[in-house]
Amino acid sequence: MPQKQDILDRLRSGVISGDEEAVRLATQEAIAKNVDPIEIVERGLIPGVAEVGAKFERMEAYLTDMMMSADAMKAGMSIVLTKIPREKIRTQGTVVLGTVKGDIHEIGKSILGALLTAAGLDVLDVGCDVPASVFAKKAEESGAIIIGASSLMTTTLPGQKDIVDYLNSTGKRGKYSLLVGGGPTSAQWAEEIGADGYAETATDGVKLALRELEEKRRK
Amino acid sequence: MITYLDVIKGIHTGRICSERDFDLRIFAPRLKEVLKAHEIKYDPENPVPDDDGLADDVWKAAKDFYCGVGTYCLDTERVVKFDENEIAQTLKTAPREFVFGEGKERRTLIQRMPEDQTPPWCFLGAAGAAVSSEANLLSLVQGYAEIPVINSLTSPALTTVDGMRIVGGSPLEIYGAIRAIGLARQALSRAGKPGLPIMNCISTASSAIATIAASQPQFGLRPSDGWLCGTLAEMKVDYGVLSKGAYLLSWGANVCSETAPVLGGYAGGPEGTALVNAAYSILGTVIQKASYQLSFPIHSNFQCNTTRNTLWAISLSGQGIARNASLPVFMLGYVASGPMTEMVLYETAAWVIAAVASGTHIEAEGVCKATHVDHFTPMEPGFAAEVAYAATGIKRSFANELVKTLLSKYEDKIKDAPTGKRFGECYDMTTGKPSEDYLRLYSKIKKELEDMGLEFKY
Repeated sequence: MPQKQDILDRLRSGVISGDEEAVRLATQEAIAKNVDPIEIVERGLIPGVAEVGAKFERMEAYLTDMMMSADAMKAGMSIVLTKIPREKIRTQGTVVLGTVKGDIHEIGKSILGALLTAAGLDVLDVGCDVPASVFAKKAEESGAIIIGASSLMTTTLPGQKDIVDYLNSTGKRGKYSLLVGGGPTSAQWAEEIGADGYAETATDGVKLALRELEEKRRK
Repeated sequence: MITYLDVIKGIHTGRICSERDFDLRIFAPRLKEVLKAHEIKYDPENPVPDDDGLADDVWKAAKDFYCGVGTYCLDTERVVKFDENEIAQTLKTAPREFVFGEGKERRTLIQRMPEDQTPPWCFLGAAGAAVSSEANLLSLVQGYAEIPVINSLTSPALTTVDGMRIVGGSPLEIYGAIRAIGLARQALSRAGKPGLPIMNCISTASSAIATIAASQPQFGLRPSDGWLCGTLAEMKVDYGVLSKGAYLLSWGANVCSETAPVLGGYAGGPEGTALVNAAYSILGTVIQKASYQLSFPIHSNFQCNTTRNTLWAISLSGQGIARNASLPVFMLGYVASGPMTEMVLYETAAWVIAAVASGTHIEAEGVCKATHVDHFTPMEPGFAAEVAYAATGIKRSFANELVKTLLSKYEDKIKDAPTGKRFGECYDMTTGKPSEDYLRLYSKIKKELEDMGLEFKY
């Protein structure tokens, strides 16, 4: 079915170039021509964003390319998801991502968010200067499995420990994997505060998140 | 001329725009457009380019870019923009000389030029990296102050006050900031340099409230010191940074425009990083009314700036700024490796040579990415200063050859760089002197640089 392949190619290339409008139109066309919605996602939208993610790792694409691709993919997803029965929607899981209270550095967290999206995870970015209670509340509301907390300053590192303390005090620590990152963090710090993992780079962060999801599922 | 109050008015009256729209619909397309129009291309074979035309093109591109994009204020969600003529007038009439320090340590800072015969301003110390104790802070600062050619101090940051971990935004941050200044001044006096300016005020404070509180003169700071007022990635400010500016400018104190374009982030690749770094010089003068720009383009994956592509961005943007801007620029090196390793000295030499030959001053340095507590000593900034004096006046083409040789010695190890030893492991904490092993390593690498043709002045 060359016509179907042409639409899927356009979906993929629209996501790669971050062209929301092109992706929206191609998705509508695919649905009008009875292309299986699952195929639209798995052979059109996801491969596009995954390709940009791979380019990012090779430093052939950068953060804004990733963000625009993710936006284009979401534009297609918002149309196609209404056509897929709820039980057939396969998601890898949701990650709540933010920078801790007192810290307004957002770029590392944004790079990780874009790469996680490219890896097929749903990312709920709660922004910067976020109190522990908001991380927990957003994780509860979104059904997240992972909480990712970034800190770029030595003085805001305790904000990561606050999340551990908050989850412990509300009896919900076991529900989530808490992953930490950012300049002054380390594996030793993660262990000291009782986090579940630490990643030095965004690429390592994706691998860690996927590993944690796998473990959570097995449990 | 654009005044600070014009800026404050602008952040409350400029065009409303979401942060995401600023990043994706204004910043990113404009950057691509300007890079294409000015045909700026990364050349990995020449990490220290030797082309005045290219350096001037980067500056012109940065002006085009900045005039089109403006500055985003996170608190008001508005873009403050001025027209090209207002910006040009402000740049032309901005001060060109800035005075720092007191007494015998008082100096005037001006812009250098590529291949300049004048040594760079040596702004030396820990670049705000964290120390575990007050005793370590005292020993380190005294050691930094004893470096013969030091012009100003970049102090470490305390992590605790009386055993309590400092929490950003809490009262402990204010206590910590005040304590750190007192200790630094005490150490400078012990070294016999009480007038030496501290130019990274106040590394222990991250919030505006702690900065302003601890800047009260009774705690030891003077207007002739310098305050870090950090922009946010990319081309963004907030009330915090502008409030620090409001206080400091009213006091007649030196504001530092601290800028760190992220290679791999919004600035994109090396070309975009160089361009955005040059554009920050304009932002520093127009928006922040700064006395100096402290710049550290940084690699998003490795959190250092000694990779080939960041060195190219440092060199090219440094040349563009040095040749065209009135605002003196410092490059701050972040090296991946830690103390008492060969790699830390190779990385240090590489970025210092690239920066000095390109016309910038130096802040040395963030050792071990400035992320490991106590993983830095006075040896690394001391080495940086020796290399900086040796590299003064050398041709960029020679600097390029040196940097390429140095890159070949460490480039493939950046991902898994050795963290080296802690301060207390390679220094005698009683005498404040480095270990014999570290001295031998220092001499060995210095000899290697001499064999490469670099002539040390002392």
